[in-house]
Amino acid sequence: MNSGIAINGVGVVGGFGYGISALGLALKRPERFTENVTIQTSDGPHTVPVYLADTSQLTNYLPKRALRRIDHYSRMALLGAFLALEDAGELESDRKRMGVIIATGYGALHTSFDFMDSVIDFGDPLASPTLFSNSVHNAAAAHVSIFLKATGPSLTVSQFEMSIPSALISAVSWLEQGRVDSVLFGGVDEYCDVLGYCLHQFFGYNGNDIKPFDFERQSAIAGEGAAFFLLSRSKKTDSSYGFIENVKVSSMVNGEPVIPEGSILFIGADGHVQCGRRYERFLSEDLPLTAYSPLYGSMPVGPGFDMAVAALSIRSGRLFVIPDNMGIKNQSKSELITQKIDSRPIYCLKIGPGGGYGMIALTSIK
Amino acid sequence: MKQSTPVAITGIGCLCAGGQNLSECMEYLFQGERLPAPPVNISSDHSVSYPVFEVKEELISSEEREITRTCALTLTAALEAFENAKLSPKELKEHHVGVCIGTTVGTTFNREGFYRDYHAGLFPETDRVKRFLNSNPSSLLSHKYGLTGPRQTVVNACSSGGDALGLAAEWIRTGVCDMVIAGGADELCRVTYNGFISLKITDSEPCKPFDRERKGLNLGEGAAIFVLESEDSIKKRKMKARSYILGYGSGCDAYHLTAPIPDGSGLKQSISEAMETSGTSSEDICFISAHGTGTPDNDKVEALVLSEVFPGTPFCSTKGYTGHTLGAAGAIEAAFTVACLEQGRIPANIGFTIHDPGLPVSPVKHATEVKGHVAVSESLAFGGNNAVLVLGRIEI
Repeated sequence: MNSGIAINGVGVVGGFGYGISALGLALKRPERFTENVTIQTSDGPHTVPVYLADTSQLTNYLPKRALRRIDHYSRMALLGAFLALEDAGELESDRKRMGVIIATGYGALHTSFDFMDSVIDFGDPLASPTLFSNSVHNAAAAHVSIFLKATGPSLTVSQFEMSIPSALISAVSWLEQGRVDSVLFGGVDEYCDVLGYCLHQFFGYNGNDIKPFDFERQSAIAGEGAAFFLLSRSKKTDSSYGFIENVKVSSMVNGEPVIPEGSILFIGADGHVQCGRRYERFLSEDLPLTAYSPLYGSMPVGPGFDMAVAALSIRSGRLFVIPDNMGIKNQSKSELITQKIDSRPIYCLKIGPGGGYGMIALTSIK
Repeated sequence: MKQSTPVAITGIGCLCAGGQNLSECMEYLFQGERLPAPPVNISSDHSVSYPVFEVKEELISSEEREITRTCALTLTAALEAFENAKLSPKELKEHHVGVCIGTTVGTTFNREGFYRDYHAGLFPETDRVKRFLNSNPSSLLSHKYGLTGPRQTVVNACSSGGDALGLAAEWIRTGVCDMVIAGGADELCRVTYNGFISLKITDSEPCKPFDRERKGLNLGEGAAIFVLESEDSIKKRKMKARSYILGYGSGCDAYHLTAPIPDGSGLKQSISEAMETSGTSSEDICFISAHGTGTPDNDKVEALVLSEVFPGTPFCSTKGYTGHTLGAAGAIEAAFTVACLEQGRIPANIGFTIHDPGLPVSPVKHATEVKGHVAVSESLAFGGNNAVLVLGRIEI
């Protein structure tokens, strides 16, 4: 696949703030973007760090009244969507031929559990219809389409860690076939206490920092947020955020992912030791290589944030320096990433716990 | 949009309350009887027992236990599809095979038993969560058979199954893979049971799609899995296509989270795209498999659109036989559509007895002979999603 699909706008919201400027600032001045939350466990309450997203800026685009029944999951998606359109200068354009594609690992967690609360607390006959209808995975895509009056095709994909690359295959396909003129593409996932409890049961307490290059130790910290992109076919040979050169989803049972020589590699390692070890072999390859999960946290749609960083790197012509706290073992890699990008493709690689992997390649030239 | 290359269907597997395989399901449809019953696998404290269409345990052939019921349904239907397509597990590994499955419950973190314990402060073990995490339908199918192509689980609510088939056909056309295992699967569970009742769109009696007295849907469960192949793959395997996905269209109403837009513009747009990509016109369509849930709103909008776009063309909803199988519905009904084209007949729209003067058209009351090679299958969904498939063969 060599799509030549251009990225026209990027909209992100996460623990680092909202908007492409906030992401750029976080990349230049990395710090700890987590907040502490308390989770209840069988051995008492535990305070753990989490990357949380604030969607209060959504009122810049929609009246408060319109947001009354919109939950946090959909609000993150809406904010990401509006920011991407604004970044592309397309807030006012006609959207009849715009497709909407949203990827999510877990969907509307809060609302799903709130719906079950209504059943448990009040009985089956008093289950909440509003919570039920907002608990479906495609609620975010529906709200985005409704508020933006986007009547093109709509798709929501849920493939855990592979959600972003899997959904992006369809975005590229729609544009290549001419089904739509543009695709508002994004990923969204939210944190909730139940998820925090499950993660604690699975992995225990893992410290305050994600160390994506420490492949021996679990260091994942949960995150939430949304990363959106306005994509279109472009006749131009250059695009400030670059082009999608390639998208692939496959499995390592049939061979390791191959990153072409001369590429730059962003690994999606996010502190999960089971997946992390699978990235280790890339350290010995002669590739400029880095990871950005300490900026946005561990969540299924993390590859969306790597894609946003890749787009921003292409726009600035340089890779962003690896934050100091990333547990890097091979320091020579950090020297490599100060190089210019030029025409080299950036590969964003995500490997799942079952050995499935997704690769998204962005390039500055068509 | 240009006319698309037809994508061959070489195998179909299907199970629902009416049968363990497509041939049993078709026999059941043409018997003209149905078997809705109070739920067995789920209990509730509603004063009324809303009938459902459950798949009997013995019909699910998958022996795997550490997966969700949705995945067990998927694997059962997939086995039939592979057999129908004359594909062995070894042969599957020799092709670049993608997986695209639609579902709703299948990817939702609504493990109620676990959550009840959590809610009660019992700090439950997470084995039930692990089972959910191991049960993404597309990943599971891909992993079990060692497939190398992309996997995508479509969660477009009730149009998921239809969308998954249309998207999978795109993968073949654009060369993403040379074979795709595609379809839809969904299990019945208390969350959807209570949810649809809370929306007051569930009938306490067997549902009556398009009938004047219709009061809502009955829920069901099941799965349908298709094997889609490129022409190259068919030639290499010396197979013949059973049927084709000729066209696919989808669009969003952008109107309301749960109600369809009253003028049916999203559905019309989707039909228009599906017809255009299939290279057919409304005169070529010999019948329509309607979404026909039995809810007042859905059937009203769908009848309006059918009267405008396909005047005089026979149509039927099969949800009176299967219940609304949510993410599986679009795929199950596409399987029925292919089988009906093969048999040259469509079943009676069971539950329909009295014409609704508010609807411009009515479905077939009796099993009806159809002449032609092309049919349409429609799916409408929460979120204003519409998915339309054009299925069959274009005679040259």
